Amino acid sequence: MDNGATMHLAVSPVPDTSPGTGLEFNRLASFVQRAEAAKLDMVLLADAAPTSGGESANKPMPFESTTLLAALATVTNGIGLVAAASTMAHQPYNLGRRVASLDIISHGRAGWNATMAQVPREAANFSRPEGFSADDFRRRSEEYIGIVQGLWRGWDRDALLFDKSGGRFHDPEKMHLLDHKGEFFSVRGPLNVARSPQDTPVLVLSGLSEPDLDIAARAADVILLESGPIEGANLRYDNLKRRIAACGRDPDSVKVLTNISLAADGRLTAAADRLEEQFHAKSCDGFNIQLPAQLPVIDEFADLVVPELRRRGLFRENYRGTTLRSHLGLVGGGEQ
Amino acid sequence: MTAQMKLGAFLWATGHHIAAWRHPKVHVTAGIDIDHYIQLARTAEAAKFDMIFCEDAAGLREANVGIASQTSRSIGFEPISLLSALAVQTSRIGLVSTASTSYNEPYGLARTFLSLDHLSGGRAGWNLVTSASPIEAANFGSTGLKLHADRYERAREFAEVVTGLWHGKSSGHDGQSFSVRDPLDLPRSPQGAPVMVQAGASDVGRDLAARTADVVFTAAQTFEEAKAFYDDLKGRLAAYGREPDDIKIMPGVSPVVAETETEAREKHEELQALIPDDVGVALLSSYLSISDLWRYPIDGPLPELPESEGMKSRQALVVEQSRRDGLSIRQLARHFAGARGHWRIVGTPAQVADELQSRFEGGAADGFNVMPSYFPGELDAFATLVVPELQRRGLFRRDYEGRTLRDHLGLKRPA
Repeated sequence: MDNGATMHLAVSPVPDTSPGTGLEFNRLASFVQRAEAAKLDMVLLADAAPTSGGESANKPMPFESTTLLAALATVTNGIGLVAAASTMAHQPYNLGRRVASLDIISHGRAGWNATMAQVPREAANFSRPEGFSADDFRRRSEEYIGIVQGLWRGWDRDALLFDKSGGRFHDPEKMHLLDHKGEFFSVRGPLNVARSPQDTPVLVLSGLSEPDLDIAARAADVILLESGPIEGANLRYDNLKRRIAACGRDPDSVKVLTNISLAADGRLTAAADRLEEQFHAKSCDGFNIQLPAQLPVIDEFADLVVPELRRRGLFRENYRGTTLRSHLGLVGGGEQ
Repeated sequence: MTAQMKLGAFLWATGHHIAAWRHPKVHVTAGIDIDHYIQLARTAEAAKFDMIFCEDAAGLREANVGIASQTSRSIGFEPISLLSALAVQTSRIGLVSTASTSYNEPYGLARTFLSLDHLSGGRAGWNLVTSASPIEAANFGSTGLKLHADRYERAREFAEVVTGLWHGKSSGHDGQSFSVRDPLDLPRSPQGAPVMVQAGASDVGRDLAARTADVVFTAAQTFEEAKAFYDDLKGRLAAYGREPDDIKIMPGVSPVVAETETEAREKHEELQALIPDDVGVALLSSYLSISDLWRYPIDGPLPELPESEGMKSRQALVVEQSRRDGLSIRQLARHFAGARGHWRIVGTPAQVADELQSRFEGGAADGFNVMPSYFPGELDAFATLVVPELQRRGLFRRDYEGRTLRDHLGLKRPA
């Protein structure tokens, strides 16, 4: 089936705000397992750090997103797992190897969601009380993302030899220094983590302002946009795909997903109409559904909405491969 | 009940012996196989180890690519993601990982370990280290490795901020190296605070440990060295208002154990024979913090060395051993390649238990961090041969007394 013919579906569990319901791991794991049973492409894990100036009424998850991803990786086997992690909270070398390691733990199902929006409160907790100007933060983010993606390519696919009798564990010619020296960082590399089963973990970019779009067109595997009126979204989608092509990339090699919050719609069947309308208007390649992290809610979505989308030929019946890249129809890992 | 020793299982892909990956019984893809680690963690938990322990370095361990490619140490799991995966695949054993104060920020690291603590129900610990390797420094834009004293001053402030955040300190911190405005956005730890482990053995490292650590991991070859370190560190606690029992000192030990002594010696020799000379000399060079050891005759003595800004205590340990036993560079290289500077015991279960008992009852250790030569074989051997012997002697628990790592270690819950 043509990759473009069916929509991609991600889900973001939003912490439960009702009193007395902490988001313990087992309940969250059940939520993700049910999303996996419905064959959704991936789960996007928000980070618990303050993301909206501390004004958010949401109860934070008691888990940092990358540690949560590792734990979920061992209790699932199909669904993609994407963790948000801030460019302020980690050095690029540390984040690069954390995510590379998660990708091996999950057998090629990991991704990193980097937000292009600076969070002042985060800067204040990471010894940068003055923060960065918008322009500096943008250049720093692009440099950071380039380093992480470069580190992910430091080992060739066939670099590990495992030759016991010859005493050759890896081929020295197939391990590459990054030798990055830039405006904000200098990183020699290579990573001390092997290459990903899907070649590189999936990069999701979100929190984009207009000047960030070219960075996203150059670097992203998935671009996450906020929802808006269909007409505007349609133009926005065309514009993004043109920018991707202008970077010399196949427009279909980057998937554009729109955030949809179904939290206020307690009647989820109506959602299928809404998704179909937006998808047919060519405003995106799929959706990230933000759902309260409650089992009855994911059950309703999986039992009512997803089968309806399948009946309409809008969503695939099963995973096409074993990696997140294969779910998204992206090149990588020798599966395409 | 008499006091019982604490035991850590120090995991490392193929094994602590530098040539373990070449051993016929070793699973050569261990460093990229999460199921291998899940199996090791479950073995250690079934044997009632207090904790599993993972080390870390933010970079390759060997600058010379030709040498590095003859070892299995250039790739592995990043330990915090590894332990997070193991947290939900185990239920009782403690989970301790190294993380450096040199290339992290305290707010982020405090959050990450507290998150691991929540995932595991109160079983997490952080092994605080400073980074001494120029290979790591090059990954973080450093123009040169910082001096030992500067690294430890940053570490001291880092530890202060992390423990403050874990204990729910609400006011901000504005210090020499770090500024932090908010308290953590996660609930308090199920064990009060994750356990603090430290491995530095230099004078300034010992002071930092006396001030902040719950557990100290150290390397000691002889009983006298171990005893001197133990007494010195416990003696420093009073200055910080702490009791001797507030800190558990757990030296590393790398046993090669078999039913008979002959069999154990054969096993040891089999491993030693797998070490290429250049790999052994390179490893020895790294412990000595010098780069040109290969220029000296391999069967001659160790040359005079400048004082290290790297791993001070490890350098001193190697030099001391070379003088005491009159060993050549080749002999030293093979010796240290085997157990990475740690105590090596080769023998029967009873002989290994005798040695451990002697250091434990002699007041030189509160327990041991067990460093199997190769995995899973030598962990299995320790679990099935040595642990029951220790239990029979009343020296080790038969079951967990509690749920958290603090429970296992008999540490007070922080107020």
